[in-house]
Amino acid sequence: MARVELVNLSKSFGEVKVLHDLNLTVEEGEFVALVGPSGCGKSTLLRIIAGLEDATSGEIVMDNEIVNDLNPRERNIAMVFQSYALYPHMTVEENIGFNLRISGVSKAEKRERARAAAETLGLTDLLDRKPSQLSGGQRQRVAMGRAIVRNPDAFLFDEPLSNLDAKLRAEMRDEIKHLHHKVKTTSIYVTHDQIEAMTLADRVVILKGGVIQQIGTPTELYRNPANSFVAGFIGSPAMNFVDATLETSGGQTTATLQDGTKLVVSVDYAALGRDVKLGLRPEHLELAANSATNAMPGSVRLVEPTGAVNHLKIKVAGQNLTVVDDTLADLALDAPVHLSIAPEYIHVFPKDE
Amino acid sequence: MADTTPDPDVTDIRSDAPRRIRRHSTRRRWVKTLTPWLFISPFIIIFCVFTAFPLMFSAYLSFQEWNPVAGLASMEYVGLDNYRLAMDDPWLWKSLYNTTWLALVSGIPQHLIAIPVAYLLVMAVRSGIRQVYTATFFVPFITSTVAISLIFYTIYSGNSGILNQWLVAISKWPVFSWFLGWVEEAMPIRWLNSSDLIKPSIAFVVIWKYTGFNIVIYSAGFLTVSKDLYDAAKVDGCNAWQQFWNIALPMIRPFAFFAITLTIIGNLQMFEEPYVLTEGNSGGVGQSGLTASYYLYLVGWEWLEMGAAAAISWVLFLFIAIVTAVHFYFNGKKGLGGDR
Ligand SMILES: Nc1ncnc2c1ncn2[C@@H]1O[C@H](COP(=O)(O)OP(=O)(O)OP(=O)(O)O)[C@@H](O)[C@H]1O
Ligand SMILES: [Mg+2]
Repeated sequence: MARVELVNLSKSFGEVKVLHDLNLTVEEGEFVALVGPSGCGKSTLLRIIAGLEDATSGEIVMDNEIVNDLNPRERNIAMVFQSYALYPHMTVEENIGFNLRISGVSKAEKRERARAAAETLGLTDLLDRKPSQLSGGQRQRVAMGRAIVRNPDAFLFDEPLSNLDAKLRAEMRDEIKHLHHKVKTTSIYVTHDQIEAMTLADRVVILKGGVIQQIGTPTELYRNPANSFVAGFIGSPAMNFVDATLETSGGQTTATLQDGTKLVVSVDYAALGRDVKLGLRPEHLELAANSATNAMPGSVRLVEPTGAVNHLKIKVAGQNLTVVDDTLADLALDAPVHLSIAPEYIHVFPKDE
Repeated sequence: MADTTPDPDVTDIRSDAPRRIRRHSTRRRWVKTLTPWLFISPFIIIFCVFTAFPLMFSAYLSFQEWNPVAGLASMEYVGLDNYRLAMDDPWLWKSLYNTTWLALVSGIPQHLIAIPVAYLLVMAVRSGIRQVYTATFFVPFITSTVAISLIFYTIYSGNSGILNQWLVAISKWPVFSWFLGWVEEAMPIRWLNSSDLIKPSIAFVVIWKYTGFNIVIYSAGFLTVSKDLYDAAKVDGCNAWQQFWNIALPMIRPFAFFAITLTIIGNLQMFEEPYVLTEGNSGGVGQSGLTASYYLYLVGWEWLEMGAAAAISWVLFLFIAIVTAVHFYFNGKKGLGGDR
């Protein structure tokens, strides 16, 4: 187990700068999720930590030792690759046990540990198969098995569950969580699935274009996003953004939408200037009466039932807003409705962000 | 195509229409059956004239006695005599022994050299430079075997050959003189005129000529191994040698199988190198350089025994078929990637 620290880490591929001056400390035993859009440098970052890629500048520190010059073997890190990278000429059992074989673990122990890992991942029936005889999800689980069979100082997971169906994914998520509780190995976990990030991680790192946008616990990110990118990235369905102009008078700050609707917002935002973007979470918008606070007139564009709740698209001020409606109201298309939102739930961001 | 456009005759349904439809469809069926044959006929004709006919003719010939110079009329049925004769001829057995010896000694090193060289080229050399190297190694393969053999003939020459000159020169260098001291005394070494040295000399030429070809095949093989696998192996704790041994080598098995098959078949038919290097003189001193193909050539064209030559060629065919079958039996499944 180890504490992993990145200090002013940068990476360029030729002219292209992929990671910009990252600073991040992952405490011993911590589980950190790394999220960000495709191509933002998540895999590159993991590869640098694993020792497969050299950093252009900056330091990787493990347990107070700079490991920039250590090779992957010396760093003792287990990694699940985004592309699985299974060995095609080895069976599932050989794939899972390969690290143990290389480390000179005895045959009997290797077999036992490989089987235990396979058991955890539901691969017991597939131990004698070659990777080409497995489905995508099964391959992904073998890739997981190759990591968890080891006893590394840190785990790096690169979207390890992306190819599984919803049910299996939930099961595996629980399994990973359980495993982490048991062995408390420092883990860095890349994912596109924010539910995974929120449920598994102690802290979440949001990366965009190779720059860290925000680091925090899942709740912090949800409640206090540092900018509109983080706000839009965390939460599902995604946050609605509407343009507005901000005015402060008599100790109250008001945002005016493009159709003239006025919303009361928290005074703290007064410093942002006149032209702003409002962030309204779909689950904070409610169908309401005309007279409610912060009522916005609109019309129903679409009703998407998801079972427990309906997702509505309501046209307000010339823009479609997504609303999560847990009252399952029976709405006709184009019916006029009003939405309302509590002032403390309105996020305000600078417009040009 | 013709089926989808309506036939004006057929759409015009009158009393005699059913008969007409039948006549049309019969003709169409014939056209349909014959068209594919027409398209593949060039191959079939070429195959019959140049492969099937000679094959059967040689089988037929092997039961005849025939001097080709005396014309077709001189053919005479002799039953199994040709085979019996061939089996009794010590030169046949000698030539098969030489062939096997040369196949092994000139075959194995080709691969033992080509695999690591190809691996280093792929792993450590930039692609542009790699292509220059590969092309250079490939040149001997596309050069005429006769030309190469002639050059080596002069290199090996006892009195004026550059090889002996070099050996003498090197044996006078400080360290080398320790173990090359005997060279002076042994001069001139007759590389191609002593029964012990002929086969190794021939083998060296063959190795020199075909290693480059194998390097090309193995380079192609190593290039198919995804970089991810090496990354995974590194994370699993492999050092450079373990990556080569556990990942790269098993991954190129299909390529190795292909290259080894070509080597086996090619080496068992070896002819030009021994023929030129022994001056076409019955396989050189004590028939040490006489290979099976070489022997076949002697019987057919020097001694004009076409029937016996045909019989020997069938024996040689059987020999190659057995060796290849053994190779396929032991390496085939894994080699052809059937285990992936
Ligand atoms: N070897 C390379 N040479 C040049 N550019 C590269 C190389 N590897 C990655 N990149 C670039 O670096 C950027 C980050 O790539 P990376 O694979 O880290 O993205 P990612 O965040 O993992 O994306 P995804 O979510 O799609 O997996 C991309 O723009 C990519 O094109
Ligand atoms: Mg990636």
